[in-house]
Amino acid sequence: MVLDGSPRLDRVFHALAHPARRAIIRQLSGGERNLSELASPLRMTFPAATKHVRVLERATLVRRRVVGREHLCRLSAAPLRDAMLWTEQFRQNWEARFEALDALLEEMKAEEQPRSRRR
Amino acid sequence: MTAKGLQIATPTDSTLVLTRAFNAPLRLVWEATFTPDKMRRWMMPPPGWTMTDCECEPRVGGVLRVAWKSEDADPAMTLHGEFTEVVTHERCVHTETMVLGSGETIGKLVETHAFTEQGGVTTMRITQVYGSKEERDGALASGMDQGMEACYQRLDALVAQPA
Repeated sequence: MVLDGSPRLDRVFHALAHPARRAIIRQLSGGERNLSELASPLRMTFPAATKHVRVLERATLVRRRVVGREHLCRLSAAPLRDAMLWTEQFRQNWEARFEALDALLEEMKAEEQPRSRRR
Repeated sequence: MTAKGLQIATPTDSTLVLTRAFNAPLRLVWEATFTPDKMRRWMMPPPGWTMTDCECEPRVGGVLRVAWKSEDADPAMTLHGEFTEVVTHERCVHTETMVLGSGETIGKLVETHAFTEQGGVTTMRITQVYGSKEERDGALASGMDQGMEACYQRLDALVAQPA
């Protein structure tokens, strides 16, 4: 059982825990954007967008490069995949339990109806 | 309507909500969820573990106690708690503490089961409230021991490939 924390995943989950940052990720899935392009659809000030991008950078979800006066951001998808795997395993474990419960419930239903009608 | 589709939500930092529909009357889902000999059938432990103890008394003040052993440890993990609120065939609340064989407490939560039935399909909603965000995230990660290493190896291979 893995019980130790993963600071990297903590940062990813923290970064994903805000709707504005998820919106930024969605925008970036379409390709590289500069900071004003990211800020305007969110009706966000430039400093606010910068703050969110910094959180995403710390989680290594976003890479930023400066070209002249432009700050260009692009998505770095590998940590997202990690985060998905993380929760996916949790989901699979519960789903396996619930599928066992499905099977048990079918038996219980059949026991209650000796002249079991198959649907 | 099919009785499928596990939904997992995190409405707050310290909360996990699991919702799942079952193709059975509420009465049977309740019985399967809270009767020890039935729980043994579906509360599946990690591979190599065996359930050695299961007590569950869904009444106020009633106990919940489950223990597992592994090849290396007996118990490998125990889970114990107490029911604090029970409305039979509707909802119940119990505390839950998970302790490793070493004595280390790895999780403390309050779990609420709520059931609704419509047209022979029962929806079970499990709300788990943890002490903190870290504990909640730890629980989300609790499946990591099973096959996660393999997953990571696959991931590494995936990431190593040129995009």
